[in-house]
Amino acid sequence: MPGEDVRVSVTRSDPDAPAEFTVPRIRPMMVLDALLAIQRTHDPAIGFRFSCRVGMCGTCTVRVDGRSVLACQTEIDEDTEHIRVDPLAGLPVLRDLVVDTAPFWRAWAAVTPYLVPGEDQEVGMDAEPAVIPPDSAERETIDPSLDCIGCAACFSSCGIASARRDFLGPAALNRAMVLVADSRDAAGAHRMDVVGAGSGVDRCHYIYGCTAACPKGLDPARAIRRLRRGRFGGKD
Amino acid sequence: MGRTEFWPEPDVLDTDVAVVGSGGAGLMCVLHALTARPDLDVTVVSKGAVGRSGCTRMVQGGFNAVLDPADSVERHFRDTLDGGKFLNDQALAWTLVHDAPRVINELETRVGCFFDRGPDGRIHQKAFAGQSFDRTVHRGDLTGIEIMGRLRDQMFRLGPRELEDVRALDLLHDEHGQLAGLTALNVRTGRPLVLRARVVVVATGGSATMYRVAAPAREKTGDGVAMCWRAGLPLRDMEMLQFHPTGLLAGNARMTGAVLEEGLRGAGAHLYNAAGERYMARYDPERMERSTRDVVARAGYLEIAAGRGTEEGGVLIDISHLGVAEVERRFPGMVARTRQIGQDLARGPVRVSPTAHFHMGGVLIDVDCRTELDGLLVAGEDSGGTHGANRLGGNGVAESTVFGARAGDTAALLAPERELRDPAADEVAASLGRAYGPLARTEGPWPFDLTTRLKELMWRSVGVVRDAAGLAEADKELDALAEDVQRVAVPGPPEVNYAWQEALDLANQVIVARTIAHAAAWRTETRGAHARADCPDTEAAPRYLVQRRGADGPYGGITSEVRAVEFSRLAPEDQP
Ligand SMILES: Cc1cc2nc3c(=O)[nH]c(=O)nc-3n(C[C@H](O)[C@H](O)[C@H](O)COP(=O)(O)OP(=O)(O)OC[C@H]3O[C@@H](n4cnc5c(N)ncnc54)[C@H](O)[C@@H]3O)c2cc1C
Ligand code: FES
Repeated sequence: MPGEDVRVSVTRSDPDAPAEFTVPRIRPMMVLDALLAIQRTHDPAIGFRFSCRVGMCGTCTVRVDGRSVLACQTEIDEDTEHIRVDPLAGLPVLRDLVVDTAPFWRAWAAVTPYLVPGEDQEVGMDAEPAVIPPDSAERETIDPSLDCIGCAACFSSCGIASARRDFLGPAALNRAMVLVADSRDAAGAHRMDVVGAGSGVDRCHYIYGCTAACPKGLDPARAIRRLRRGRFGGKD
Repeated sequence: MGRTEFWPEPDVLDTDVAVVGSGGAGLMCVLHALTARPDLDVTVVSKGAVGRSGCTRMVQGGFNAVLDPADSVERHFRDTLDGGKFLNDQALAWTLVHDAPRVINELETRVGCFFDRGPDGRIHQKAFAGQSFDRTVHRGDLTGIEIMGRLRDQMFRLGPRELEDVRALDLLHDEHGQLAGLTALNVRTGRPLVLRARVVVVATGGSATMYRVAAPAREKTGDGVAMCWRAGLPLRDMEMLQFHPTGLLAGNARMTGAVLEEGLRGAGAHLYNAAGERYMARYDPERMERSTRDVVARAGYLEIAAGRGTEEGGVLIDISHLGVAEVERRFPGMVARTRQIGQDLARGPVRVSPTAHFHMGGVLIDVDCRTELDGLLVAGEDSGGTHGANRLGGNGVAESTVFGARAGDTAALLAPERELRDPAADEVAASLGRAYGPLARTEGPWPFDLTTRLKELMWRSVGVVRDAAGLAEADKELDALAEDVQRVAVPGPPEVNYAWQEALDLANQVIVARTIAHAAAWRTETRGAHARADCPDTEAAPRYLVQRRGADGPYGGITSEVRAVEFSRLAPEDQP
């Protein structure tokens, strides 16, 4: 018989702060709803982050029973009576469930994450957008890899990225792959150097934690494989 | 001399341009300011994560811009004024439609966005309600992620100073009343900050969160508008709050209010009441579900109010007649969103309700985002006038990026001309006193119940359909709330304390709510998003109310002045 209450254990920064809570079940109920109920009825000072609550901003990421997920998109189903919520792995905790995402973004920045137009390409308000058919090889490579929300679930669930500082991690490598495949971009060679260096693709052990964790259904492991083979446009 | 204040000594930082907000308007402003003048010192102050907070990030449907030679900016202009019921500031609306295609060019070629293409490899444009041409540019049904993701990437190229998790509190003047900068609060550390800036750009994205059913991101609590209000700036069209017709109903879950995008109706979705009637036939038999937002939202509200709604207080949207595969292909994000809450858009009807979505009202600006106060610019949803009485779907992200870009250009021109000034000490003290009050008080209510009270009140009395009696009640109740808000106390440390942040959000929301209720009581007609049950007619000549705070403080009297709309480019009777 499913309970009308949900028990929630939360890792707190202050060891004296309450960490075990019971909140009433609502339907539907996401992990974010449980955290809000704790804040509203038990401990106003509990620290957790969210913004859009619809899986678009990527700021509510936590670990629920060990898995790195978006709190706003993770349902507490009828059979679940207890969950444990921890901050993401591999990122410094600011307080309670709020982490400093700076290391994630440093890795992201390292792959030159922005479009670098070719010298002869016009850019700006009077430049014409490129003509690229949607069924072109490059778009078929890029499009399924595009909707990254920077939530760091992959980073946290990757044993290597979260344990050591010198792996760029799945999200940044996925971004690199997208840009290398983009015919509008001219910095591919430089990016291939970065991802081929010590902290790049060779650190990946293909455990596929990233692909399993991505709340947007992206496949960063595949992006890493593509980068490693250095080939684009074809099927793998 | 010993300090007697109950807040830490503020850190002081000097910058050329302080940009408050990191949504579409904020980051486009940074892009343009630093493109025009790479030597400028630009600081982004963002309450939420940079590029990952606010609503530009949440844009689903897309971006209106004239790209097709068969379309024209004149038509887009006409649609915008028709949608806005001719209440628009025509100079702003013209700027919007004129610059929108150029911003698409820039987003694609400089920023690196890639919008969906048609088979010929050119940008695809889809149908959106209320428009005479298919002109909505999109990336699937999650367009905002592409725009904000890429703008965020540009920040790594441009390198502005990013103050993430830093909340702007108040604008500051110097001893002579000139703009000097702003106060802010570092949410991570709980420490105060005084930013001296030559130019300040306010782009905090409006305030549509203050309703029981509401769509926007949590940061949008009217901070920018309230800051400007406290600083004495004029606001317009504050009664014009747009309800999106199709917000999800998910019980008490936070997901409630999340938008199912407009493109569904564009693509042929039907709306039904609980009796299974396609009720739009009663309200707009010609355009049916493709009617404008205001009409469709009001129809849904009236159906529910007349007892023809579902048990959960909603109506039903159904697009499953297009077939599962087609719906999944065209609206993957929306399908996922409904499955998340145990429903399925691809396979059957989904429960929806009108949801508070966007604030047309805001601070008066000119086409270069200048305000009455030299050095202060406002862009995006915080400004008023562009959309008039009702915003077209797809004109919101166009507004934030178009005017964000212009604010950046203006800032680059202004910054070298303006000196850094010393903020008046009493203003700094008053601002920080207000901000640290909830933390310093040991007794007083938590903010949460007051937030709920505000949202219920606004929904009930200042909502989709209004009347004089309800607005009078709201006015009284808001005064009471304003008093309670000033007694709020929050426990806990100053670091990363979101209860404290909510107390500060609430203070701003109540300020903005009072201006909405006041303007709604003034407008004794029905126009666009503002519907009065007791005044169903629309006056022939559109007028708007310009409001300012009185001398007795931000929660005190409101002074106002009525102005007639100038038809500088187009009058309603002109032929298209
Ligand atoms: C769910 C949803 C869907 C939408 N879909 C569409 C669509 O399909 N097409 C369309 O044209 N429009 C759409 N809109 C409207 C559109 O999102 C807005 O018009 C526009 O994006 C607003 O941009 P902005 O830059 O003004 O504010 P936002 O993008 O909302 O950004 C506000 C920023 O201000 C920051 N901020 C807030 N307060 C403070 C403070 N005190 N100090 C510092 N920073 C602060 C926030 O952290 C955030 O970074 C949608 C809106 C919503 C809510
Ligand atoms: S709150 Fe935005 S992804 Fe969860």
